[in-house]
This record gives sequence, C-alpha cells and structure tokens, in this order.
Amino acid sequence: MTELAIPVLETERLVLRGPEPEDYPDFKATFTSYRARFMGGPLNAYESWMLYAAEIGHWAIRGYGMWMIHDRKTDETYGMAGAWKPAKWPEAEIAWVIWPGAEGRGYALEATHAARAHYYKNGWDGAVSYIDPKNLASIRLAERLGAKRDKQAATIDGSDSVFRHPSPAALDNTQLSDGIEMEIRHYADPLFKPEGWALD
Amino acid sequence: MTIKLANTPLIETERLNLRAPHAGDVDAALDFLVSDRARFIGGPYTRDGAWRNMGNLIGHWVMRGYGLFVVTEKGSDHPLGGIGPWYPESWTDREIGWSMWSPEAEGKGYAFEAAQAARAYAYDNLGWTTAISYIDPENERSIALAMRMGCTLDEGFPYPDLDGWEGTLVFRHPSAGVPA
Repeated sequence: MTELAIPVLETERLVLRGPEPEDYPDFKATFTSYRARFMGGPLNAYESWMLYAAEIGHWAIRGYGMWMIHDRKTDETYGMAGAWKPAKWPEAEIAWVIWPGAEGRGYALEATHAARAHYYKNGWDGAVSYIDPKNLASIRLAERLGAKRDKQAATIDGSDSVFRHPSPAALDNTQLSDGIEMEIRHYADPLFKPEGWALD
Repeated sequence: MTIKLANTPLIETERLNLRAPHAGDVDAALDFLVSDRARFIGGPYTRDGAWRNMGNLIGHWVMRGYGLFVVTEKGSDHPLGGIGPWYPESWTDREIGWSMWSPEAEGKGYAFEAAQAARAYAYDNLGWTTAISYIDPENERSIALAMRMGCTLDEGFPYPDLDGWEGTLVFRHPSAGVPA
C-alpha cells in the first residue's frame, strides 16, 4: 500500500493520525455540507476528493499537515486538526475542523492543543489561525487556545481575521497552559455534564 | 521532518524513469500549472490552486495506491511531466493522464514513451482492463498522442459533470491484452 510516514499523536481521549483513505467519507460529509461555509465550501464531490488528497499531499510537500482526529476507543473520526500552509498562506496556520455532531465535547480543543504542542516541540516559534470573522465557534476556540487577534498580520485575502497563537514560552507551564489543560480535563471527566451553550 | 511516499513503484523505459512525485517537484509543477501550457487541463491556475494540485497529485497515490508518475530522463531527477493512472472521485472511468510540464521536454517522443509504460503498468500491475483519456477538443498535441497510442474516440461516453468540462473528448485505449 502506498503510504506516508506521518507521526501519530495521542491524548487522553483521542488519537491523531494522518488522513487515511477510509476516513474520506467522513471528510466528504462535512466538506460537501453547509458546515464547510467558512472553509471554502460547500464543495462538490470532485473538489472534496481533491481537497482530501491535497490534505495528504500537504504532508509530503511541507513535512507537516493536518491529522484526522479519532476516538481512542472506537476509532470514530471527529474532525481534523494540525497545520496548514498552502501557497497563498502568509504564515503557517494551526487549523481545525470538527464534524457537526462531534461538537460540544472539547475534541477540537484537545486535538488542536496537542497538535500545536507537537509543532512547538519540533521547532516552531509561533503560529496563526486564519478565521472567517463570522465563524464565531472557531474564534471562541482560538481564544480558548490563548490566541489573540493580530490586526497587523497579513491576511490570506482580506476577508479573514488573523489570530496569533501564544509563543512556546507562553505555553510552557504557565497559567494559560494550565487553564487549557484544566478545561480539557473537565470535558474528559465522565461526571462533568456541562449545561448551556456547547462550545465545541 | 521529511515525509515521503513509501512503497511506490519505479518504472524504467529506454530513456526515462517514471517515479512517484515528491516535494522537490513542486516548483517545476507550479511553473507549468500557472503557465498558458496548462490551458487544456483547467489552467492557467493561481499559485495557490497549482500548489493544491501538486498536493492532490501526491495524495492520489495514498487514496488509490497509484497515481501520476513524475517523468524524468534517466540519470536526472528533474521532473519533465506527470503521466499515469488517474482516478479521482467523479471520473466516469479510469484514466491514463499526461501533461508535459516544460516545452523542452516536447518533440522527443517522451510523452509517448512514458504513457505507453504507464498504461502497461495499469494493465499488468493494477488489473485494469480498459482505460480512457479525457482531452480538450482544442488540444491537438494530446489528441495526436492518443491516436498514436491506438486510442479511439468513445463518442457518447460521459465525461465528469463539472464546470468547464463541456465538450471534453473521451478517448478509449485499446483493451488490456490487445496490441495497440
């Protein structure tokens, strides 16, 4: 089988693996739906397949990319998280997408926090996220990850907002990183039954 | 971090190597895809669109277990073009695709030599029994190559139902086991 050697990340509830052919239907379901409106979609079947192939090829071209988020126990997929930098991107982006239906359980936070930590451990000194200003759920996640709006930074095409992630030092055993990890633990706690508006 | 495609075949012809694409091919592919030479395959592309095209050229290998080979002269790693089996979602049949990326690579019979080897690979190693090639009706060089490979126009056979594809010609390759 033709494959790429993509590292695997494990968190308390999740396993992050490179995008595999059998995960494509889950990706397609989201990217051909209205859910993809802030990510250049909805896409047709051809565009969706090609984008998924490009997600895979991104790893080969850049040496980094987006992981598929799996449940550790059931292997079910919940979305994707990782890094993304096609030709037009001014800087390397920390990106995420969570399938509709997998929201409200903190999976995007847990996966993205782990992905960012991986890249920081491998020499990155910072990152941004490009977010549609109408994508409130993603803006909230960026802020829960400690990212702040950077109005000076170059955008992709002027229609996106740039959120700058905290530096590796700002996440090294700090109040910020403790807070993120505490929030993730709350989600992972089987006795924790949050009420109110689900975040993601 | 270097991440490479694993377990990909290498095909050798008399003058050429056909190998899997890698990150080092991106610049040559982009130069082609943003140029007027890409006008018959949906281009010229923006740099971003071209970059993604290169990404899905690599990703196709993982999705299907095969994909376009990058063609080089023997003894060189410089990419001259992308030729090989191609079957993304929405394709109406399995395709042998080809594009020569630089004008210097033309006029030497390289595309013919590589496309024949790629078709033989698809028939002998992938179990394909037939193949098609989608060609823009104004792409005379590609039509000439299809004819030279023994293809015939498969009139009425559907092409992908996508924007900008109206009028695309479908050429049918000689079946596996039939001398071209």
